[in-house]
Amino acid sequence: MTNVIKQSGAYLEIVSFHLGEQEFCIDIMAIREIRGWAPVTPMPHTPRYVLGLINLRGAVIPVIDMACRLGMPMTEPSERSAIIVTDIKGKLVGLLVEQVSDMMSIKAEDLQPAPEIIPEAQRAFCRGIVALEKNMVCFLNLDTVIADELTMAA
Amino acid sequence: MKLSVSQRLWVSGVAAFIGIGSLVVVGWYSSNTVSHALANSQTIDVIDKQVNDLRFANEEIRLASMDVIIDRASKAVTAERKTTLEENTKFLKSGVSAVESFSKSAGLNIDIAKLSADVDDIVKASNERLPALVAGGAPDAEFDKIDDDIDAAGGRIKTVLDVVAKATSEAQTHEVDTAVAQSQQSAVLQFLIGAVAVILASGLIAWQSRNIMKGLNAVRRSMNRIAEGDIATSVDGTQRLDEIGEIARVADILRKATVEKDRAEAAAHEARLSVDRERTENETERQRDEEEIRRCVTILAGGLARLAEGDLTQQIDDPFRADLERLRQDYNAAVTRLSTVIGNITDQSSSIHSSSVQIRMAADDLAKRTEQQAASLEETSSALEQITITMRGSTSKAEEAGAMVEGTKAQAEKSTAVVREAMQAMERIESASAEIGKIINVIDEIAFQTNLLALNAGVEAARAGEAGKGFAVVAQEVRELANRAATAAKDIKQLVARSGAEVQTGAELVTATGQALRAIGADVVKINEHMISIVNAAREQNAGLAEINTAIGQMDHVTQQNAAMVEQTNAACQTLNEDTTRLENVISQFRTRLGMPAGSHAERPVVRANTPIPPRAPVVSTGFKPAVAPAQPGQRARTSPAQKLMGRLENAFGGAPAKSTLQSSGQRASTQASPSTDQWEEF
Repeated sequence: MTNVIKQSGAYLEIVSFHLGEQEFCIDIMAIREIRGWAPVTPMPHTPRYVLGLINLRGAVIPVIDMACRLGMPMTEPSERSAIIVTDIKGKLVGLLVEQVSDMMSIKAEDLQPAPEIIPEAQRAFCRGIVALEKNMVCFLNLDTVIADELTMAA
Repeated sequence: MKLSVSQRLWVSGVAAFIGIGSLVVVGWYSSNTVSHALANSQTIDVIDKQVNDLRFANEEIRLASMDVIIDRASKAVTAERKTTLEENTKFLKSGVSAVESFSKSAGLNIDIAKLSADVDDIVKASNERLPALVAGGAPDAEFDKIDDDIDAAGGRIKTVLDVVAKATSEAQTHEVDTAVAQSQQSAVLQFLIGAVAVILASGLIAWQSRNIMKGLNAVRRSMNRIAEGDIATSVDGTQRLDEIGEIARVADILRKATVEKDRAEAAAHEARLSVDRERTENETERQRDEEEIRRCVTILAGGLARLAEGDLTQQIDDPFRADLERLRQDYNAAVTRLSTVIGNITDQSSSIHSSSVQIRMAADDLAKRTEQQAASLEETSSALEQITITMRGSTSKAEEAGAMVEGTKAQAEKSTAVVREAMQAMERIESASAEIGKIINVIDEIAFQTNLLALNAGVEAARAGEAGKGFAVVAQEVRELANRAATAAKDIKQLVARSGAEVQTGAELVTATGQALRAIGADVVKINEHMISIVNAAREQNAGLAEINTAIGQMDHVTQQNAAMVEQTNAACQTLNEDTTRLENVISQFRTRLGMPAGSHAERPVVRANTPIPPRAPVVSTGFKPAVAPAQPGQRARTSPAQKLMGRLENAFGGAPAKSTLQSSGQRASTQASPSTDQWEEF
């Protein structure tokens, strides 16, 4: 926990989490709150990664299995799983992740673009790669990740 | 071929018969065929004649009709012509059927209906219309017409009949040809069969007759030989299987019988001659024998008379004749044997003397040994006492061990209860560990929730921008605390899990201990059972010792009886001595070849001279034990060791002390009462 949160334009505040063995992160400003796992109400005729709906203090919001959405095996929800409630273009969406690992602030120039060799469609998921000392973290582009889902929900 | 003579003859006869039979059959068949053909030609001949008659009748009708027409001026038909016409027409009419039948059988193509119609026409014209015309004086034209009709019909009939006549003659010729051909053929066939049959039959007869003649000639030659006196050579042809073979075999049997008879006659003659020779020899033998026997009897009588006087020295030395020599030898052997026996008896009587002395000495030895036996019985008794004491000690030890085993058993049961308690304690530790685990889970949950709260606070602080910066630091600290709490909780959980496993192991060990203790308890019970059986065995051994006591008492009794027996033996020895002396007197009556009376033999055996029978109490034949033992130096009266032993044993076993005391006191009383029976004397 060496990182220090700084209120500077040159810094990005991020929250990192685990999906399987991999680590991903999103912009902290997109997060509304983080809460523990609670059972969801399944929705008919939705894609596999849409787990269902939860009641967040009266507001009904969809919950998405991020691992499944990113093409990995389904997450096995446990008591230690967490739901990150995000605000994407004014809509609230719950993201199921295995474990929230850290909050940190990084310099804007540390964010490197994804290699161009990856096709455009897949590259759109990723805003860039954060190279840390121990590992690399994929900075997810929530707009792309949730875009389809939002259109469906609309 | 193995055939008898009759079979051979039969074969020839049957061959000839078959040849003749086939000749007869062929002849019969051909004659049958020829006669049939001839009969056919006869039938055809009759028909031929009839047809010729018909042709003739037809012509007659035509001629008569013509005559009537020519004589029509007379206006009448003469009766002669009328008769001719009527007869011929009737014959013609009747012949139609014969023609029909023949043409059918010969297969001729003749229109019988037309023929019949023509016949009817000509009959009608000649028999009815012509007389009518004649009587009526009809014009010439009418007569011409009727003449034409009759000619035409007659011509047609003639043509038909010609055809038939030709056919009949042809058929007749054919039948005759057939008959001739058949007869020729049969003649050739008969000749061939006859020739074959003659050759076959003559061949068979020649072969069979040669065979038979060969056999007969062999037999005839053999029989001629026998008739000339040669009966040694055997008859030929006996191996044949037919009648000739049989004749040969019979002849051979006759030959053998003759040979046997000749041999028997020769043997009988030989035997008769030898019998005559023997008879004459026997006569002279007998006279010589009678004289010899008389001489032998006289010598033997003299020898026997000497033997009756007790003289055993005489032998008959003059040899007897061969068959009586045995008698002499037997006499000599008897005398020698008797002499030897008497000598032996003399020797034996002295030997008996010495033996009786030895028996006396042996009886003395026996007496000494009986005393030794009594001493041994005493020692046995003391040993038994020792054994009894040892036995009692071991019995009490065994009982003690039984009690100890009982204690051990109780201890083992107590240990089992302790183990059970230890098990319960282990279970309590286990449940406490589970409780701790639950609490740790709660702490972990709290740490997680705190972490979430800190995260949310961090998010809120970030959203607050510059204003929330300090709050963000606090949130970070809280998160770290929560993480440490979570790590500590995880460590405790691991420790609890390890202690749970240890408790599990402890519980298993305690269970094993419990089982081992149970096994020890079971073994202890077994040991206890064994101890009980050892004690029982000791008791049984006590009973056994009592039985041994009884046995020793019996042995004591027997020892006393043995002593009495020795006394009896001594008396018997004395009697034996006297009897021996009497025997010597009897034997001295005989004279043996040694030249002295048998009885004069021998001084008394050395033993007798040197060791006179010690003076004893006079032998009483009715009682075997002396009433009072003579007091001898070096001897002491003492109580029977066996009796003493019994007393000691009873004391030692001590199963019923009162009874044993009673018995021993009774024993003592009896000892005092009859000292004579308890005196342990040396014989």
